[in-house]
Amino acid sequence: MRKSVVVLVSVLLLMGVVGLASIPKDTLVIGANTGIFITLDPAVCYEVLPSVVVMNAYSGLFKLESIGGVIKAVPELAESYEISKDGKTWTFHLRHGLTFANGDPLTADAVVYSYKRVLKLHKSPVWLYESLGLTADNMDETIKKIDDYTVQIVTSKPFAPNVVMSILAESWGGIVDPKVAEAHAVGNDMGSKWLTDHSAGAGPYVVKLWKRNSMVVLEANEKYWKGAPKIKRVIIKDMPETTDQLLSLKRGDIDVAWNLTPQQINSLKGNKSVQIITTPSQSDEYVGMNAGWGPFKNPKVRLAVKYAIDYKSIIKDIVGGYAINNQEFIPAGYFGFVTDNPAPFHQNIAKAKELMKEAGYPNGFEVELVTNTTERRRNEAIAIQADLAKIGIKAKITIMQASQMYSKYRQQGIQMIVAGWGVDFPDADALAKPFADYRVHQLAWRLMWYDDYAADLAEKAGFEKNAAKREQMYADLMEYWFLNGPFAMLYQPLQYWGVRSEVKGFDEAAKGYGLVFDLMKVYK
Amino acid sequence: MKLSMYIIKRLLLMALVMLGVSVIVFFIAHVIPADPVGALLGGNAPPQLVDQMKHQLGLDKPLWQQFEIYMVGLAHGDFGISLKSNRPVIQDIGEYFPATLELAIFSIIFSIILGVILGIVSAVHRNSWLDHFSRIFSILGVSMPVFWTGLILLLIFYYLLGWLPGTGQLSLFTIPPDHITGMVIFDSILTGNWQAAWDGLRHIILPSIVLGYAATASIARITRASMLDVLRQDFIRTAKAKGLSKRIVIYRHALRNSLIPVITVIGLTFGSLLEGAVLTETIFGWPGLGRYIVNALLVLDYPAIMGGTFFIALAYSLANLAVDLTYAALDPRMRT
Repeated sequence: MRKSVVVLVSVLLLMGVVGLASIPKDTLVIGANTGIFITLDPAVCYEVLPSVVVMNAYSGLFKLESIGGVIKAVPELAESYEISKDGKTWTFHLRHGLTFANGDPLTADAVVYSYKRVLKLHKSPVWLYESLGLTADNMDETIKKIDDYTVQIVTSKPFAPNVVMSILAESWGGIVDPKVAEAHAVGNDMGSKWLTDHSAGAGPYVVKLWKRNSMVVLEANEKYWKGAPKIKRVIIKDMPETTDQLLSLKRGDIDVAWNLTPQQINSLKGNKSVQIITTPSQSDEYVGMNAGWGPFKNPKVRLAVKYAIDYKSIIKDIVGGYAINNQEFIPAGYFGFVTDNPAPFHQNIAKAKELMKEAGYPNGFEVELVTNTTERRRNEAIAIQADLAKIGIKAKITIMQASQMYSKYRQQGIQMIVAGWGVDFPDADALAKPFADYRVHQLAWRLMWYDDYAADLAEKAGFEKNAAKREQMYADLMEYWFLNGPFAMLYQPLQYWGVRSEVKGFDEAAKGYGLVFDLMKVYK
Repeated sequence: MKLSMYIIKRLLLMALVMLGVSVIVFFIAHVIPADPVGALLGGNAPPQLVDQMKHQLGLDKPLWQQFEIYMVGLAHGDFGISLKSNRPVIQDIGEYFPATLELAIFSIIFSIILGVILGIVSAVHRNSWLDHFSRIFSILGVSMPVFWTGLILLLIFYYLLGWLPGTGQLSLFTIPPDHITGMVIFDSILTGNWQAAWDGLRHIILPSIVLGYAATASIARITRASMLDVLRQDFIRTAKAKGLSKRIVIYRHALRNSLIPVITVIGLTFGSLLEGAVLTETIFGWPGLGRYIVNALLVLDYPAIMGGTFFIALAYSLANLAVDLTYAALDPRMRT
């Protein structure tokens, strides 16, 4: 027995001799749950983490940059642009001498092909193009090549310039090499099957390998027009379990842990070999009340709920402080974000009870509170249930799979919900419409808040060219929405990562995460 | 009954079971009041896009029509196209299954060696501290959550001691072997890529221990019971009376005779290892079929859920069949 133990220990020790090689200086290893990866085709991809890969493998006419804390669309492949007087015709002038990673020239043909490709394939991101009035039916008239370096698009309405530029700056605006895509086309798929796990772009990186549920490997594009990136190889290693990410980060087997919990990230405080990077997330966490259901029809009841919630303790206890106390639908730092008082609500039970009494519900009522299965949402629902109980509202919590919850939500079938909303493109319009304009059939519609004043204001602000006027419109809308809207905004999450100390520039690269992540800024 | 007739009868029964599995899985997956397209497109997608996608994928057809399409496809060996990966489900299964199979093979080897040794020691030293230890070890194996065992082993052997690598099948900078069977260690050996074989072997130790622990427990228990049974029989007493050494009595006479029920348990356990690897695969970042099915479940990827479940059920049935046939070949009384 003793002998066998000795043998076992010796074998293990021997095996330990051949340890992991340390990570080379020009390589970045990211540990992340890649279960969400569906495709790396820019015309199809819509998930946040895979979009990081897509936006670094492709370049678009514009690019999102965080400038002074504000996410803005800046020219990338387009050297300049003009907008016609009626605000609908956009003319883009491409840089000369651009090439794809494989050396093929990048000209106006590729831009026109890529935009039409999004419309023809008609996958998740298409609605953003369609919201500008570009459709598969009208694309031959609305998307045109003028010459090799000039492209023209015609939008259906005179949208605010930032709306159009932001939409084109996202991962779905990435320009695809038509030669490569067509060479791999199967039927009418325009190379989509092949582009699921390959790339044909002009971004700083090239997709070298995607072994599903194992790893994604990116290699530097030495022909990138701004110069080759400093990190030559990026490996995203699939690590579905967050504890694995934490242990591997501490041992130095990965450079970045992508999906740590607040408790895990807090456990890294004081560890000299690891830095904690945080950035405001491009999303909102909210409680929604169905304005077409029972007591919530009364704005006073909705207001009472907003005064019943203890926002600060939710931020402190449930998300470990990794959130901003921002109750506006516009994230901090955006155009239209009102800086004076972004969190007008705080728990005031006496006021909430008074409002309930005025509304005719002094003894409260029963309501079903729905949320999905993540631990954080469950905890939030429990905290809200306890807060609501203080003003007599008995909330029965129902936990559902996200797929089930959203299905019911889209059919306006939910009384009360705890959910989140990710920003689709960095402009106030991308938030004002879902949260205040029921006509776009998104959140306000799902919660049956058919308020024409709010809807008109949200719509008009989307077209306003005068920045000062537009800003005032969003401020007015916000004030009205606070008092009348069916949402109690809980917080704006902070995104956080555990990163090895030798990795530099990660904080700059991560600014605006959710919409943009620029690997070019990372080095060791 | 002749062996050939018995085989035909078992095969027909298996076909019936597989039909039952496909019908049940189809209806369970479809009665959930959820929307796979909405899940795939995310919470932000506008309703008209969800409707268009449903139409494209044929999910707006009546349920019986979808069932007919599914069953006709199945009869032709076509599991359909995964909504998530957009590839034929059979291709996905072909990519993920070898990893699960390799893990199951190493787990069963581990559990056989440890389980049989523990069982013998327990039976021979009945009611001694060794017996008690072995039984407690077995009970822990059955009752401890895989999740917990996995994380504790990783913490000790990977993080604290650094003896074994962390998650995945190979280290990041190890050159993987050429694809032959899809099983990393076997392919490395077949292609003479010894560095990858060694690295793969080091990576599979912890997950196969975690996955095999519960199986070890049942093998140890059945070995112990069977050994005790045999040790009480007359021929053992005779062997002892002849003056044979204890070692020869135990290993040559008792063990051989007690192994038949153990083999049955091993066969069934192997089948269950194929379907029970979900958590182990998640903890150890193992790119196997278990995780594929779980990821499919999260977005309600119908074809992947149905194809994956059907395939696992088939593998389990085949393992079951193999055990029954072995048994029937050994003992004609079983063919009734």
